[in-house]
Amino acid sequence: MPDAPEDLKLARQLDGLLGQREAVPDDQFVLTVMHRVQRERRSRKLILFAFGLLGAGFGLLGAVLLAEPIERLFTGLPATGIMQAALLAGAAAAFYVWSMNDDFSLSN
Amino acid sequence: MTSDLELAARVAGSDDQAAFQQLVQRHQAAIRGFLRRLLAGDHGTADDLAQESFLLAYRKLASWQASGSFSSWLHTIAYRQFLQHTRKHARQQVMADPPDSGFDPTPSMDAEILLPLLMRQVGPEERACLTLAYAAGMSHAEIVDVTGLALGTVKSHIFRGRQKLQQWLKEHDHSLQTPGTDPASEARHA
Repeated sequence: MPDAPEDLKLARQLDGLLGQREAVPDDQFVLTVMHRVQRERRSRKLILFAFGLLGAGFGLLGAVLLAEPIERLFTGLPATGIMQAALLAGAAAAFYVWSMNDDFSLSN
Repeated sequence: MTSDLELAARVAGSDDQAAFQQLVQRHQAAIRGFLRRLLAGDHGTADDLAQESFLLAYRKLASWQASGSFSSWLHTIAYRQFLQHTRKHARQQVMADPPDSGFDPTPSMDAEILLPLLMRQVGPEERACLTLAYAAGMSHAEIVDVTGLALGTVKSHIFRGRQKLQQWLKEHDHSLQTPGTDPASEARHA
């Protein structure tokens, strides 16, 4: 059964009403969002700086504590031995990088 | 005009604040309007959730996959914020008065008052589907992406939601004053 003309009119009005946009652009809203974004950036930078400083402190402490044992380790070693050890360490690092690099393409 | 994709790439790549500001300017009305509709006229909460949505978008911009539109992605974030908010406040909502108790809508009511009232007649999912379809002009597929609902559910929500609203309007004998439907305004424009 076809809809009554009143129903059709009501349906058209409802479509118009639902299609309306409720909010208009508001510059204050944009400013508030950007202010919050900047605040978040600042706090992120602060956290990063604080933890970086902490890491650097611990690194420095470790270097001071380990300087003497490391110096003792290398005292009296032949230069060729050190070179061979460095070469071996380099090769191990290269193998590690190669084996962990699994970003291969699946396409032909 | 610079595309959303280019602006988003600038934000993700070099943390370009001006680019993000442009994105906020471009999409704020749509997102705020969407949330206002979902929250049935609670403008304050809607704007708060819109702010949270943009902030979340800023944090997660690097993870945005440009397969869909930026607007759809923002609507998805806003919809999730709304769901989270609804879950948090579910208890208060249950305890609150029924939607239109003690309110007698008068005929020829202004659309600004009538719209929130209408939105309270349907469930949150129906509100979301109706708003995305009509106000945001999204396709059914896009609504599926935003809401995470099945295509059939989206179609049914739109159909049933619209039927409910039409029935409610009929029962309350309304004549709507929407732009272009006000007889006085039509006469003025003629």
